[in-house]
Amino acid sequence: MFLHNYFYRLKCIFRDRQAMFWTLVFPIILGSLFYLALSNIGNIDNFEKINLAIVLNSDEAENTAFLETVTETDLFNITETSKDQAHELLNDNQVDGIILFDQNPELSVSQSGINQTIIKSFLDQYLQVSSTLNTIITDNPQALSSGLIDSFTDPTEYVTEVTPTRNNPDPVVNYFYTLIAMACLYGGFLGLKEITTIQADLSTEGARVSVAPANKLKIFLSSILAATTIQMVVIALLMCFLVFFLKVNFGDQLVYIAITCAIGSITGVSFGAFIASVVKREEGVKIGILIGSTMAMSFLSGMMVENIKYTISQNMPILSYLNPANLITDSFYALYYYPDHSRFFTNILLLCAFNIVFSTMTFFVIRRQKYASL
Amino acid sequence: MQVYKAFFKIILKNRMQISIYLIVFIVLAVAFTASYTSPVSTDFTESKINIALINEDEDSVFLDGFIAYLTVNANLVNLPDDPQSLQDALFFQEVDYILRIPDGFSQDFLAGQTVSLEKTAAPNSTSATFMDLRINQYLNTAQTYLNYGNVVSQYELVSSLQNDFSNSSSVTLNSHTDESDSAEKMAYYYNFMAYSLFAILILGVCAVMLVFNDSDIKKRNFASPLKTLNYNSQLVLGSLSFAVLAWLLMVALSFIINSDFMFSEKGLLLILNSFVFTMSALSISFFISNLVKSRSAMSAVANVFALGTSFISGVFVEQVYLGDTVLSIASFTPTYWYVKANNAITSASSLSGSTLTDILTWIALVLGFGIAILGVTLVLLKNRKVEAR
Repeated sequence: MFLHNYFYRLKCIFRDRQAMFWTLVFPIILGSLFYLALSNIGNIDNFEKINLAIVLNSDEAENTAFLETVTETDLFNITETSKDQAHELLNDNQVDGIILFDQNPELSVSQSGINQTIIKSFLDQYLQVSSTLNTIITDNPQALSSGLIDSFTDPTEYVTEVTPTRNNPDPVVNYFYTLIAMACLYGGFLGLKEITTIQADLSTEGARVSVAPANKLKIFLSSILAATTIQMVVIALLMCFLVFFLKVNFGDQLVYIAITCAIGSITGVSFGAFIASVVKREEGVKIGILIGSTMAMSFLSGMMVENIKYTISQNMPILSYLNPANLITDSFYALYYYPDHSRFFTNILLLCAFNIVFSTMTFFVIRRQKYASL
Repeated sequence: MQVYKAFFKIILKNRMQISIYLIVFIVLAVAFTASYTSPVSTDFTESKINIALINEDEDSVFLDGFIAYLTVNANLVNLPDDPQSLQDALFFQEVDYILRIPDGFSQDFLAGQTVSLEKTAAPNSTSATFMDLRINQYLNTAQTYLNYGNVVSQYELVSSLQNDFSNSSSVTLNSHTDESDSAEKMAYYYNFMAYSLFAILILGVCAVMLVFNDSDIKKRNFASPLKTLNYNSQLVLGSLSFAVLAWLLMVALSFIINSDFMFSEKGLLLILNSFVFTMSALSISFFISNLVKSRSAMSAVANVFALGTSFISGVFVEQVYLGDTVLSIASFTPTYWYVKANNAITSASSLSGSTLTDILTWIALVLGFGIAILGVTLVLLKNRKVEAR
């Protein structure tokens, strides 16, 4: 009986086009869109040379010295030009700034930004180094001959990079983690459907099933098991798509990742079953609540705006622990980013707690219901 | 006008599903415009990066001078010194740079020993490279004073450094537009409209056409004494009124948000552009409505189509951030040209000459899309009718 029902439920779910679309096809499409839209963002912050126009003065020697200094920094693409032309370039956004080189070099920009700041700080540095040289040479004229200039042209590196995390920070991966969280919770479609088909007051199939001389608990468990099986397969397919086609970086801890996917899938199914049994309204309303709450939870874990997740964890930490989507997202995040597993296990334990609550509530609602007539 | 009335009755039956998109649009539009209203500054402001500073060193005059220098050149963000909150802040870009000054740093530095500061930052980022430069410059200058200058005390060292680093070049800011901030917001508003409008039109038109294309209802309707031309023109009129109504609502909201901008030349161009886009989107919705067979397919198609075109055309993520391949795919959708025109309208320093010609060309392209797809739909419908006989 158990296996009989299990295999038939597998077939039924698999053939339900609507459920398959929302749990499998929609996340894949959304993931591809994230990929298309975000794949370039990681490179945006990489440094590119800044376009700079320079208007020189009449003193040949000073010009050469200054140009040499600018070229040596290797920060700029330089255009030497006249004053009028430089302003034209600036207005057309062809250059980020103009240096009017004179006794005191002057900078013209059309907006405030990091590139403009870099140009300014280069000029500042030029003035500051001149000031330092003046001070030292006035105090100690011999310094010039004993390698003073070298200490500027060959500076010491005082900053060393340390990476205490497992991988480099990459805000883009969080979008994909929330996507999996959303897909896991969309497993609620399957849980919801299973409850509907075994409850006599929710569907005609349910009425038929209840008439059969079969143990209700057995049927319930085998149906839910079928839904969970399909959901795990769906999540596995989604993961394969993300990892092999979109090359999303999940770190390399396969076993832990599999555990997260499995617990996430179970959470989704039990969440749907919970909604189906607790909400006493027609199916459309239940599906509405399922989609609405999943979207809200995904939003709060950063699916639309990445900073939301951080803001909430800083200001209302309790909310990030009470949000299953965030717990799933955070598990992947912790596996990707942190060298130890304490945060990961906290998330997984909380997810298990959610599962127990959802399942117990469902169980107490659906047990021992008998109808004389419907 | 029975057909026309029936059109709106069906729309009203579907008001829940349709209004979700409208509400999401309004909430996001209001939230976005309320989010920041930075006054347009006429002075140049240096970009400062956010850094978290963890100081494990003992107090000294030299260290105070160094920290004062950092305070001028970066925003110091206070964070608790535990690894998780620091790393979280770095991941979500709350800070761009974490700097740790180890114990004994100043003493060793002043004694001329090899020392180093520890930093954590996203690899290859512009802001982190920039911060490295600033820190190295300060410390190198200090080292130069120690090697060559006549400094006897830390006080002297710090005051020489302060003197040098107070030198600053003068900057003039020639801003060519003084309304860039509100223009940027309006560009975002109108770009975002592409998503909501598309979803609303697809859902609305599909919901109606599903009913009218039902074969039993169709047979009944054709049996009526109403002429086909009259019947069809009422349907066309219905869809047009529905589209214009949705468009008017959104445009009206933009006037509430920023009427000054909307009454300017640029605002009028935005309105023209969005109207042409609405017509084009309506024609695509009409096309889709003749392919979709069920209500569940309807919401799937509306979601995927509206989201998909918006994502690749730069509605959510700006076009400059998208890759070339993505953009060349996107150029086969009207959304791409609509967004491109919006961005050009709002960022132009003056609406004349080549800029205006470009914008009008793009608007014409959007219109072209609409007409082409309408043509395809009509051919499709004609063939279907022939088959049916």
